Amino acid sequence: MTLLDRLLSPERRRRRALARVGEGPLHDYLATPFPPRDADCDAVEIVALDFETTGLDPRRDRILSIGMVSIRHLVIHLGSAWHQIVQVDEAIPEDAAIIHEITDDRSATGRPLEEVMPTLLRRLAGRVLLAHYAKIEQRFLDAACRRLYGGPFVIPTIDTLHLAHRIFERRNHSIQVGDLRLFNLRPRYNLPRYKAHNALSDALSTAELFLALVMDISPRPPRPLRQFLTRP
Amino acid sequence: MEIELQEIRGFLAGHAPFNLLPDELLDELPEHLSIRYLRRGSPFPPSSDEDSLYIVRSGAIELRDAQGRLHEKLGEGDIHAAGCQLLDLAGDLTGEATEDTLLYLIPCRQVKRLMGSSEPFDRHFSTSLKERLKYALHTIQAPGQGEAAWLATEVGTLLQRPPVTLECDASIREAARLMTREGVSSVLLLDDGRLAGMVTDSDLRRRCVAEGLAVEGPVREIMTANPITVQRDTLLIEALMTMARLRVHHLPVLEGERLAGMLSSSDIARQQSNHPVYMTGDIRKAKGVEELTTISQRLPALQLQLAAASATAHHIGEAISCVTDSLTARLLEMAEERLGPPPVPYVWMAGGSQARREQTSHSDQDNALILADDYSEESHGEYFEELARFVSDGLDACGFIYCPGNAMATNPEWRQPLATWRRYFHTWIERPEPKALMLSSIFFDLRPIHGDESLFRELQPEVLAMSRRNRIFIAHMVANALTHRPPLGFFRTFVLIRDGEHHDTLDIKHRGIVPITDLARVYALAEGLEAVNTTERLRAAAQCGALSEEMAENLEDALEFIASLRIRHQAEQLRNGLKPDNYLPPGELSELERDHLKDAFRVIQTMQEAMAHRHHAGSLG
Repeated sequence: MTLLDRLLSPERRRRRALARVGEGPLHDYLATPFPPRDADCDAVEIVALDFETTGLDPRRDRILSIGMVSIRHLVIHLGSAWHQIVQVDEAIPEDAAIIHEITDDRSATGRPLEEVMPTLLRRLAGRVLLAHYAKIEQRFLDAACRRLYGGPFVIPTIDTLHLAHRIFERRNHSIQVGDLRLFNLRPRYNLPRYKAHNALSDALSTAELFLALVMDISPRPPRPLRQFLTRP
Repeated sequence: MEIELQEIRGFLAGHAPFNLLPDELLDELPEHLSIRYLRRGSPFPPSSDEDSLYIVRSGAIELRDAQGRLHEKLGEGDIHAAGCQLLDLAGDLTGEATEDTLLYLIPCRQVKRLMGSSEPFDRHFSTSLKERLKYALHTIQAPGQGEAAWLATEVGTLLQRPPVTLECDASIREAARLMTREGVSSVLLLDDGRLAGMVTDSDLRRRCVAEGLAVEGPVREIMTANPITVQRDTLLIEALMTMARLRVHHLPVLEGERLAGMLSSSDIARQQSNHPVYMTGDIRKAKGVEELTTISQRLPALQLQLAAASATAHHIGEAISCVTDSLTARLLEMAEERLGPPPVPYVWMAGGSQARREQTSHSDQDNALILADDYSEESHGEYFEELARFVSDGLDACGFIYCPGNAMATNPEWRQPLATWRRYFHTWIERPEPKALMLSSIFFDLRPIHGDESLFRELQPEVLAMSRRNRIFIAHMVANALTHRPPLGFFRTFVLIRDGEHHDTLDIKHRGIVPITDLARVYALAEGLEAVNTTERLRAAAQCGALSEEMAENLEDALEFIASLRIRHQAEQLRNGLKPDNYLPPGELSELERDHLKDAFRVIQTMQEAMAHRHHAGSLG
């Protein structure tokens, strides 16, 4: 990200990128305006997204699976739940296979990323991205878009880790290692413990945590989106 | 469904009524769900939602009625479906999240779709309270198994042959000849084709031969006219109870109006020679108190066996009370053998649960003596004191412990001539005060057990006539009946009490059974009904219009369901060698049973409110 990018709003960056990207899924995605920053959280569609990956480096590592669920009017709609295994054309490192329980065989049942990306972009168009430690999802999406479509990926983003961090700081809570992890934050808000861990259940866990954080930060409306967005 | 939503499917599958859905419907349910988070203190239900059924995934919700009274508290797995306007689910309840709460929502149109696809699911929502109670009874009284299952057979299956009948104009000799020819111990007598009476071997002996009656005379003269009958589909257990209660060995069996046959105790004995109800036979033959205590030790086993045979709680209460009656009567005979014949007539009265025929094997004893008015303390006092002592000690030795409130014939206050009893009741009813109310559950439930029953027959109508007239007394009784309230329901592993308090166990006697027996007693006293048994009181109240048929039936079913749970709880304790008690931990109940219990509580609560309203009992505090 250039210095200029950092200074521009996502909406400005969207329009800059749109001007440079040729016809295709990314162009279509960028052609849809982002929700206004002053809109109320209640009025925009927020999409919780989680990737499982072979590692943390978007240039070297691969997306193994995608989980997504959307929030409208601050209600999670399971009808929108989507889970996709991504076919990886190389051997999955053993530690990643163990953590995500996605083996080479299981991966082979999935679809290649280039086939999945158009769907993914369509589902994100005009919406707000929600993730816990959203940098991972943003960077992997950006790397994929540059590789497949020759342009950057831009999206207004809410990061539950940042929101939780802000709440901790504002209340002068000291933060211990691991406190801000998704599954350590959930019990603080009386959210149930889910046994399964996969991209979809993690996206759902993030979505539920987000609802709790929103109610903690702004118990009553209005809840303007900008209050929750992560600064680029 | 995305397979990754298994977690949610699994949660739904673990809770009623979703556990009633077939797999394929459960599989597709999660995708119709939405999820909402309520911070502690947020109003519920959220105003902006589409009409939905709510499932609490985590957290807690309190619901209050229009007057702000706590109605229900929802915890994990509990549902709130009022928004879907399904049949008789309480409406206009509002509340708030009392903890941070995660809710699953299913749109009402989806719920209705599921109701259309799954019959059990549909029944869960669409059945009326009345039907749900019936269903609850059905589930708890599953067909009996094991050796005692035969008790639940219909008497029709035991009939050996067509009825042996004779016109009642026939002579006694003709009857005797017919019985001999047919090899039967009884004959049914017809008048114009209808059952008019019956004659048994013992009638021939006692009423004819012993009396020196001419055998050419009409058999009508020695018959038992209009005998008690049972129906073909009456359960054997019920027939046995009737026989034991009436102390008869023969019961004519009808099918509708038509005569179907005769059920004799020897027919039954042929089927099952060592049935526990024959304990009463052993009791009558017992020579001493020790023998009686030995027989009584079989009482817990009788209760267990009947419970295993899935006899109804009503029947079990009758069976135990029937044995207690026999014990009491035999003890009185023994006392008379020892002390000599009574100097003046008396009648031994059972009070409380024995009087109502609702005992369990560990009830305590409540009793009283009504003496003839020519009783004199000086000359007869000692006799009756000893008689009472002997019987009360005997009952205690048999496991019916002394009444903690001393409501026993050993207490001189409750061993009085008829005139004194008249005065007692007069005072209690005309000038009601706390003491009368305390005693009410014991002495307003009275049943003669042994002796000169006419003493009681004289007293009872006077008491009922007085109670019926006296509205202030009834209002006091109502206020008293309202002191025992059912809980609201359950919350997590606790019993939820009206004021929001949580209890670890359900006092099933004082919060389930007593409220209903109290209500029934008020009806009996307010309407002047002779019945003492709670079910019979409710039926009689319905018959005279004091109570709607439906309400009476609901209360009866609620009582039966609650009492059945108690029987099961105690059976479990007896099996584990524990002393049976009335404290039921909610953990012993399935989710469905909790729902059924909540229905039963609601019936009681509705009735209590109606009664309070009708008698303005609130003003008496």
